[in-house]
Amino acid sequence: MRALVLILAAVVLLPFIVRPAIASEIWIFAIFGLGLNLLLGYTGLLSFGQSTFFGSAAYVAGYLLKHYAIGVFAALGIGVAVGAISALLVGYLCVQRSGLYFIMLTFALNQLFYFIAYQWTTVTGGEDGMPGVPRPAMLGIDFRDPVAYYIFVSVLFLLSLWLMKRIVDSPLGKILQGIRENEVRAEAVGYHVPRFKLLAFVIGGAFSGLAGVLYAMLFGIVPLEAIGFVTSGNVVFATLIGGSGSLYGPIIGSFVFIWLSESMSVVWARWPLLLGVAFIVVVLFFRGGVVEAWDRIWRFSKRTT
Amino acid sequence: MALLETHDLSKAFGALTAVNAVSLRVEAGTLHSIIGPNGAGKTTLFNLLTGTFPPSAGRIVFDGSDITGTPAHRIAHLGLARSFQRTNVFPAFSLLDNVWLAAFACSKSWRGLLWRRADRYPEATAQARAALADVGLGEKADQPAREISHGEQRQLELAIALAAAPRVLLLDEPAAGLSPEETRRMVALVRALKGRYTIVLIEHKMDIIMNVSDRISVMHFGSLIAEGTPEEIQRNAEVRRAYLGGVAA
Repeated sequence: MRALVLILAAVVLLPFIVRPAIASEIWIFAIFGLGLNLLLGYTGLLSFGQSTFFGSAAYVAGYLLKHYAIGVFAALGIGVAVGAISALLVGYLCVQRSGLYFIMLTFALNQLFYFIAYQWTTVTGGEDGMPGVPRPAMLGIDFRDPVAYYIFVSVLFLLSLWLMKRIVDSPLGKILQGIRENEVRAEAVGYHVPRFKLLAFVIGGAFSGLAGVLYAMLFGIVPLEAIGFVTSGNVVFATLIGGSGSLYGPIIGSFVFIWLSESMSVVWARWPLLLGVAFIVVVLFFRGGVVEAWDRIWRFSKRTT
Repeated sequence: MALLETHDLSKAFGALTAVNAVSLRVEAGTLHSIIGPNGAGKTTLFNLLTGTFPPSAGRIVFDGSDITGTPAHRIAHLGLARSFQRTNVFPAFSLLDNVWLAAFACSKSWRGLLWRRADRYPEATAQARAALADVGLGEKADQPAREISHGEQRQLELAIALAAAPRVLLLDEPAAGLSPEETRRMVALVRALKGRYTIVLIEHKMDIIMNVSDRISVMHFGSLIAEGTPEEIQRNAEVRRAYLGGVAA
């Protein structure tokens, strides 16, 4: 409940603190992180290829928006579907493997998609990206207005959060955590582990797809990096910094990550160094990320007063 | 009537035949023990029965139907539940959640799998609580599994198997690593379950076996060398030889 109030307050206040475009980017990246964390935090699967779904959705929906003038809702639906379907394909190949092989396979398939986008210049624009993705108006609301678009993104983010909360509180959420805790036992009590992992992939892919479309519409372009491994790495990075053990970790992580990169990149070209330091601190001292750090500080201050 | 049967069941790992043409008949409602020295192939036999890996040869028949080659995740749904020799629980979960996961797996319907709250399944929750109470852990339902003692973890191991409401319980050394006091409690527990379930029990401790079993099968180097009531087994010369080592007794 307290978390919800904090998030609502953040949604309302954020556009007054940073530019609406950056505020939108924070919530978009948070949706992306929510999808990853179902795999990383709940199922215990480190996917290093989430931008496959993010990028594929951005390209497909962006292309249709640009050339076929589809509506906003159609674009969202298509993005979610493309995210889910690409995750189904990739997940199908990956869930049979475990450990390092699993991680490398998600990465390798990500590279495969990346090079398809890189080569297929007539559609994706290759290295130049795919510019000219419109933000069509809907119900008389002009989404070219950054504040209107921010509100739209925020609503979708809150919806995504609500949906993800339902999922992690459901039996599925418990089964996925059971798989993380003990795969052999989960199988023995009667769960087809690869199929549940695949389901987690598809749901995570759908969230990534939603984030991808919103991203394309936000910047009006699908850059090649949207499907690159750096994007895959960034979402893992942000989620770990925020705390993969909690539903809200990726949201905090997204906030820290985007805010740092947007504010610091202007001031200091070497800003990723800060992220590196933050990451090292998390790995060494706060495995549970910002969420755990906050928890410990809060408990510590309660003990001392 | 035999509820669970194997016919010439074998498993070879390369040159090693871990289980060699074992034919077993477990009668419904009985407690059937499998004993044998370390490395006799008892756990491998369990792994075959529960689909961890398929046999190299032979058949497994459960309640009249051939279940040979059924994968592990289907076995629980058929009504065969196992406990593990080495404690194999969900450490970060509360005891209730450990058991709930098994109860839910075998519940009649998975409706609402993605959207209904996991605590809104009264049937699975009741079943899980009953299984915990059965093994005497009802009071500790909300504790995380990693914080309870080894003896209690062995009880939890059993509760997870019970929660699936199985027809056959396969217990792999439930008393492994227990103190004498804890062992006595475990024996009492197994005895209490006798009659309610058909039980196949692997155990090392002879006093337990002789105390609770209806029938005993003896394995040695992968093969069955004897079968009978506890009294028959105690008198059997070949069994003594297997346990005392190659010396002719």
